[in-house]
Amino acid sequence: MLRYLSRKAAIYLLTFFVAVTIDWAIPRFMPGDPIEGLLSRMHAQPGSEQALSGYYSQAFGFDVPLWQQYLNFWAALFRGDLGVSITNFPTPVSELIMSALPYTLALLLPAILLSFWAGNKVGALAARRKVLDNTVLPASYVLTATPQMWLGIVLAWLFASTWAIFPVSGAYGLDIQPAWSLEFALSFLYHWILPFSALFLVAFGGWAIGMRNMIIYELESDYSNYLAALGAPSKLVRKYAYRNALLPQITGLALALGAVVAGAIVVEIVFSYPGLGTLTLSAIQNRDYFLIQGIFLFLITGVLIANFVIDIAYVVIDPRTRIGMQGS
Amino acid sequence: MSSRRARGVGALVVLAALAALAALTAGGAGAGAQTLAALPRSQTLYMSGNQWSPNNDLNPAKNWDYVTGLVGFAYETPFRYDPLKDKFIPWLATGGGWTSKSAYTMAIRSGVKWSDGQPMTAKDVAYSYNLLKSPTHPQHPLFADTGLKSIKASGNKVVFTFSGTPAFQEFDNYRFNVAVVPQHIFKSYSTTDITTGNLSNPKKIVGTGPYLYQSGVGASSNTVVWKKNPNWWATSALGLKVGPQYVVDIKNGTNAAALSNLLAGNIDLFNNFAPKSAIKGRFKTYFGSTPYHLGANTTWLFPNTTKKPLNDPKFRRALADSINIGQIIDKSYQGLVNKASPTGLLPIWSKWIDKKAVAQNGFSYNPTKAKAALAAAGYKDTNGDGYVENKDGSAIDLSIVVPNGWSDWMTAIQVISDSAKQVGIKITPAYPDYATLVDDRGHGRFDLLLGNDRQMSNTPWTYYQYIYNLPIADNQTTMNYQRYTDQTAFALTQKLNRTPSTNTKAYQAILTSLQKRFLQTLPAIPLWYNGMWSMVNTQYWTGWPSSSANQYTPSSWRNYFQMTSIDMFTHLRPAKAD
Repeated sequence: MLRYLSRKAAIYLLTFFVAVTIDWAIPRFMPGDPIEGLLSRMHAQPGSEQALSGYYSQAFGFDVPLWQQYLNFWAALFRGDLGVSITNFPTPVSELIMSALPYTLALLLPAILLSFWAGNKVGALAARRKVLDNTVLPASYVLTATPQMWLGIVLAWLFASTWAIFPVSGAYGLDIQPAWSLEFALSFLYHWILPFSALFLVAFGGWAIGMRNMIIYELESDYSNYLAALGAPSKLVRKYAYRNALLPQITGLALALGAVVAGAIVVEIVFSYPGLGTLTLSAIQNRDYFLIQGIFLFLITGVLIANFVIDIAYVVIDPRTRIGMQGS
Repeated sequence: MSSRRARGVGALVVLAALAALAALTAGGAGAGAQTLAALPRSQTLYMSGNQWSPNNDLNPAKNWDYVTGLVGFAYETPFRYDPLKDKFIPWLATGGGWTSKSAYTMAIRSGVKWSDGQPMTAKDVAYSYNLLKSPTHPQHPLFADTGLKSIKASGNKVVFTFSGTPAFQEFDNYRFNVAVVPQHIFKSYSTTDITTGNLSNPKKIVGTGPYLYQSGVGASSNTVVWKKNPNWWATSALGLKVGPQYVVDIKNGTNAAALSNLLAGNIDLFNNFAPKSAIKGRFKTYFGSTPYHLGANTTWLFPNTTKKPLNDPKFRRALADSINIGQIIDKSYQGLVNKASPTGLLPIWSKWIDKKAVAQNGFSYNPTKAKAALAAAGYKDTNGDGYVENKDGSAIDLSIVVPNGWSDWMTAIQVISDSAKQVGIKITPAYPDYATLVDDRGHGRFDLLLGNDRQMSNTPWTYYQYIYNLPIADNQTTMNYQRYTDQTAFALTQKLNRTPSTNTKAYQAILTSLQKRFLQTLPAIPLWYNGMWSMVNTQYWTGWPSSSANQYTPSSWRNYFQMTSIDMFTHLRPAKAD
């Protein structure tokens, strides 16, 4: 067990190191100098331009060689310092991320968990019922092949623009501010439904197809036939098939996390939802090195931790892994 | 088993939602303390079009970034400037004038109070201007460029002392563009905070203006809410009253989202570009017919004058004659903009335009003339590919760039490319992203590009500085993108800056020389006047600015508040009585 975990941990640490290095390097090799962009946006006059340029270079640590910038970056990282935003100078990157994070989590967590739960349930049902199989399966194929962003645009067009049932953008009403009140919660929910649906539906399709196929496979396996031959009720057979079919789905969940996060980013942009996605877009558009770095670092860490947790969960859920490890 | 798991998932989702909600309210910068009811629609004005950056910059010095309304609603300026009537409006100052060749004296209004009850005095005004002394203050050029030496308060007066001939035009600009801030609050900030910080504590917004900060400051906030200041000095002093009880400024999201909010009637004042088909009949604009909007700035075509053949004024001239501006106006703007004067000067400066010079040297769309001019200057199609070559026979293959996503400009440069082709000039449009374009523009890595950085102001000097400023640095971040060296024109520009506009004769003479020189050499090609986009919804508010009544700037853009946008708010009244 310990060996398994430490091996996993080592792999994750290595991945983290490589990912962080790439994360540091990419914005620096993009064309465009962020400070020049800043000076241009502020319409700096000749009288103040030089002083400002020098001040900002120093403030962002661009006045030292690249290798030193890289070391400084790691040093700051261990202090939990993600640097200062360039466009929104001098707001710390961590502050911008933390203020956007709740919105992204409010979309992501329910979308991941509910789609996994509902997709697997419906997929398992579909494997047993012809009617469902003929309706849910094709619908799921369409859904899972749909980019979340495109589905978001379609939903916005239909439900917000054409029929005006839901609002087209934002996370809460224009006439309200975040507060502990029923009014705010309702407004928040009302604005949440469309972007959530865009994420939920696409993921739902994937899980439903996977589960449907796995259940059919499991029901045709030897243990199912044996159980059935022993006279076990079909409900019991299905229950065992479901448990076995769930294992590859959990592995799939770990793999899908990255895609869901990426999907959330673009869906947020479609709905001007003030989460990490919208923040990422504005950071990239403005060459905000530190903000881009900070967000990616945050996402990388989040996805790695989630994967690690799933790895551990796998040991708990699948008795074979546990026994295999005890045996070794 | 499965129902137990279902309950588990349900509980997780509820927990996640609760955690998100808790974090939201905690992050809402003190909003948690006040449970805010939704704002009454009939007393609230919703506006959008200015704010792109996060709603958390409360520094009045950062006039490209601060939260919409910070200067104008909260902080005010000594003067305002009415660009449509070319008139300074005494505001926190009751007046001012040159008391000697090198001293300007401002008389400060008495009886004005900060929103915390303290009196606003001449000392606050002098303090606010003296903050600009720091070299990293964005408005430091007041000290660096105008000859200003010292600012002192005495009694209810503030005296600005200069050495040498003052830069009158530039100084005038600072008379209505420096926010007066409370010394008793700002003295607790460090210099770095004041020059480059965000001063992000909304409790410290202590201003003199018509609105008080209500809520919404925060990095992920979409809206900022302002509430009417019942003790605004201008009510008793000038009989002015702002109409809306609340003003909500909405941060821009995607174009589609903004437009659909407008069409749904959620926005009363919309200061983004919107196509004519979307607004016609539903929303009011400043003019009832074409061009519908005031011209806010000139869109220029900048040639890189360090490159062949764009360094040749004859070639630039032929290029200018080749551009079918009418088609741009029809195709990109459906008639929502007007063609610019060949001098590039805005309509508000039309009284300074030398009509004779324009008649003699102005350009206009004329492909035949352009072709002939190219041939006469030695640009011929020697290899028969339909495009002219350089005088030395090398190929001319120019590119023209605008930022990706600026759809009206993207269509415009396609028209420019097409019409240049008609006369045999090869120009290929390209759309790099904004940051790349800024970088290339600064370092002269371009052939042709569009720019419209300078807004309307109190003086055409800001335009000539934009075109002619010298010396040319490695990185030209804000002006003379075309890297054009004309010492004579630059000297004239500096002379213009140092001539008071009250000296009409000398002022006009310099402007005439500049216009003549500009038209003869065309260091930049003025194309059209970009509009002060403003679509208003009359369902909830009436009394909007228009060309026939209430001639004020109908804009929520930064730096327009201290022109006459504030007058818009004092003339608005509810459409229906409650």
